[in-house]
Amino acid sequence: MTTLVELTEVSKRYDGVSGRAALDGVNLAIDSGEFTAIMGPSGSGKSTLLNLVAGVDRPTGGRVNVAGEELSRLNEARLARFRRARVGFVFQFFNLLANLTVLENVLLPAQLQGTRPAQARTRAAELLAQLGIADLAGTYPARLSGGQQQRVAIARALINQPLLLLADEPTGALDTHGGEQVMELIEGLHRDGQTVVLVTHDAKLAARHAGRVVTLIDGHVNDDTRLDGATPTPHNLVKVRIPEEQR
Amino acid sequence: MAFKYGILGLLAAQPLHAYSVKARFEDLLGGSWEVNIGQVSTTLQRLERDGLVEPAAARGERGRLPYRLTEAGQKALEAWLAEPESEPQQLREEIYLKLLLASRVANGDLTALLARQRRVYLQRLKDLAVLEQKARAQGRDDLVLLYKGAVLHTEADLKWVDVCAEEIKTGSDRR
Repeated sequence: MTTLVELTEVSKRYDGVSGRAALDGVNLAIDSGEFTAIMGPSGSGKSTLLNLVAGVDRPTGGRVNVAGEELSRLNEARLARFRRARVGFVFQFFNLLANLTVLENVLLPAQLQGTRPAQARTRAAELLAQLGIADLAGTYPARLSGGQQQRVAIARALINQPLLLLADEPTGALDTHGGEQVMELIEGLHRDGQTVVLVTHDAKLAARHAGRVVTLIDGHVNDDTRLDGATPTPHNLVKVRIPEEQR
Repeated sequence: MAFKYGILGLLAAQPLHAYSVKARFEDLLGGSWEVNIGQVSTTLQRLERDGLVEPAAARGERGRLPYRLTEAGQKALEAWLAEPESEPQQLREEIYLKLLLASRVANGDLTALLARQRRVYLQRLKDLAVLEQKARAQGRDDLVLLYKGAVLHTEADLKWVDVCAEEIKTGSDRR
């Protein structure tokens, strides 16, 4: 396993906000192929961490290294190129462009990247088929359910074959069923080798789908644990049984 | 209590001898409740004594005696099914006792205790998800409900750990 993401003593303070930092001395390494969930209460620094890894934001201290690039050394133009080529980002509220069709939304990052149109279209068609939305290619986002919109957003995030898929509460705006489908898709991508970092406040989602759970509290890594995915023995886990003395 | 009615419920579908009762009961619960054959036999004898079950035929192969539900047994089962469960909340997990004691013992490191407990609950959520998925793949939607219940309880436990951690932190911030 190679290290894909490495945060060293990373801190982030926002201008004008006095007092505590959003992130404070965070060290974290994520291997290529891992599915990591970042958990924590609101205000714990989860989204800040994700934005720093995505190169959307810059740290006020420490180093963020992604795929061998030290992000703080990149100027704005190179940082933008890094984001387009290396990172796919999925948001809670999809962020699709309303005046573009599904296919046009998915193709957009490839066009910005300068991918040959024929090649981009082939890749987009593959992704739409893989995500079960091939028949929606010509549809506008307003006509789609939340779950469908999020699949389009995932396709858009993957069009440039990023090394890293980042998802910030991707099920937060979906109903239970739509949310489960989106998570199944993301888990499927991970099984195919995609490195995924998921930010969520939902422990059930984190534990169910990720192999590793990092918990942030007040801008610090409070816990970092890898979970065992082996099939458990039912009676070691659940006992439907009332105590002896009551029987 | 619940085991006795579990047997009545199985016999309501068809007459069974003790070994079949054991196998079917464990299958019903998806392996989350293992019973020994002695316990099954004793319970069947008690149910017969109380007039809730009766032998359905003569002893068969290897002396096994099939039982069936009596009319009184059917009524007892229906009454039990209709009754909501109102036992006291069972907080049997040792973690509650550990927390109470650790907060009284000098240098009891609650934060580390809670972090370790949190890992157990996260792993449990993953394990339950695996079992739930397996039950669904096997078409056991009734078992899926059991595991969903266990997931909700675990989520509550996890939330409780977080509340404890938050309270401890607020407490130390105040001091």
